[in-house]
Amino acid sequence: MELIQQIRDKARKLLEEGAVEGVIGYERASDGVTSRPLFAYDPSATERLIFDETCAHNLVKYLLDKKGKKMAVVVKPCDSRAINLLLNERQIERDKVFIIGVGCPGMVETSWNHKSETLQAKCRSCQLFKPLVYDFLAGGEIERQAEEETYSDITEAETESVATRREFWLEQFGRCIRCYACRQVCPGCYCPVCFAERLEPLWVGIRIAPEENELWQTIRTFHLAGRCIGCNECERVCPVGIPLSLLNRKLEKDVKELFAFQAGLDPEEQPPFATFKKEEKLEFGE
Amino acid sequence: MSVEYQPKVIGFLCNWCSYAGADMAGTSRMGYPQNIRIIRVPCSGRVDPLFVVKCFQRGADGVLVSGCHPGDCHYTEGNYHTRRRFALLREFLDYLGIAKERLRVEWISASEGQRFAELVSDFTAELARLGPRSKI
Repeated sequence: MELIQQIRDKARKLLEEGAVEGVIGYERASDGVTSRPLFAYDPSATERLIFDETCAHNLVKYLLDKKGKKMAVVVKPCDSRAINLLLNERQIERDKVFIIGVGCPGMVETSWNHKSETLQAKCRSCQLFKPLVYDFLAGGEIERQAEEETYSDITEAETESVATRREFWLEQFGRCIRCYACRQVCPGCYCPVCFAERLEPLWVGIRIAPEENELWQTIRTFHLAGRCIGCNECERVCPVGIPLSLLNRKLEKDVKELFAFQAGLDPEEQPPFATFKKEEKLEFGE
Repeated sequence: MSVEYQPKVIGFLCNWCSYAGADMAGTSRMGYPQNIRIIRVPCSGRVDPLFVVKCFQRGADGVLVSGCHPGDCHYTEGNYHTRRRFALLREFLDYLGIAKERLRVEWISASEGQRFAELVSDFTAELARLGPRSKI
């Protein structure tokens, strides 16, 4: 395919010229159906690069491990918001990253050795078809139709009674095994010491209890308020299938309504919690 | 004999206005419910949402976060940040099943002892009406 060949050629050229130390992209997983991240440091490895509708991983996360190194990375439109987020928070340097952008046809649901025909929920309402930021766009622009993001599932939950919502989330959090995969995969979670690992004070206790899971999930999500870029990787990697997008998108919706802000669209815009307006009218306060 | 339900209330009061306001209520000998446990913080901006969630996790029925009136912050702008943060947190906790009535954010100045006493009475009464939080 032309798109894949363009990615391979570009990656090979960058490595051969020594413009970057490595290329982060996708390769076919050993099941022959799905894909996995590939770190290519040798020009010959670029022949393994691929791109298709199974490449859901947000590779921008890996840039945090490669700080100070010049890296090239394959970036989908939604992942490009993560680039903007990390630029905004001064976690990566623009001139240290070469962005190989790809137009995105939408990602499908996958499991080991299997890919379905249906698009992931986040892709159905995604309005980005082209990365917001890139140095090289492989495969040109893509035309496709997308539904409007209506937050209908969120507004529906909002009409339920508080007790019903409590019951729902208790059941969800009861299943959490606190493997912290949601944190490890998140491009916005990069604190050197996470509050969940602090011992003094011990914010998240070590016992196996829904209370501790609830605290963890509440604060994890709240730390991403106005920062979550909606790649939905947390939900994808959750081994017990907690619908984390219901939490992240609730905050995304409220931040949009209260502060008219969406994360990752502009690397120079002030995030909502870094600023304020004296005259703004919120729910309380005169 | 059944013991009447007494809600547990945690109050985060800023050192410069609200704590002084509570002190004012005390020195003026105004009565208010003993359900509130006061924690003094340098500024309402010091109150991490984590503190509030932790309070609820450990069995608080209600949490009050109180600071200087907007514009009067001792550190100029701490309470503006509090306002943004807690506007969002209240919505979010409500969504997770902790009714937004249980988290109050109020502005109380050092001279508003009366207002503080009324607020605590009112808040405690409301929490008593809501009843104990379903234990998680």
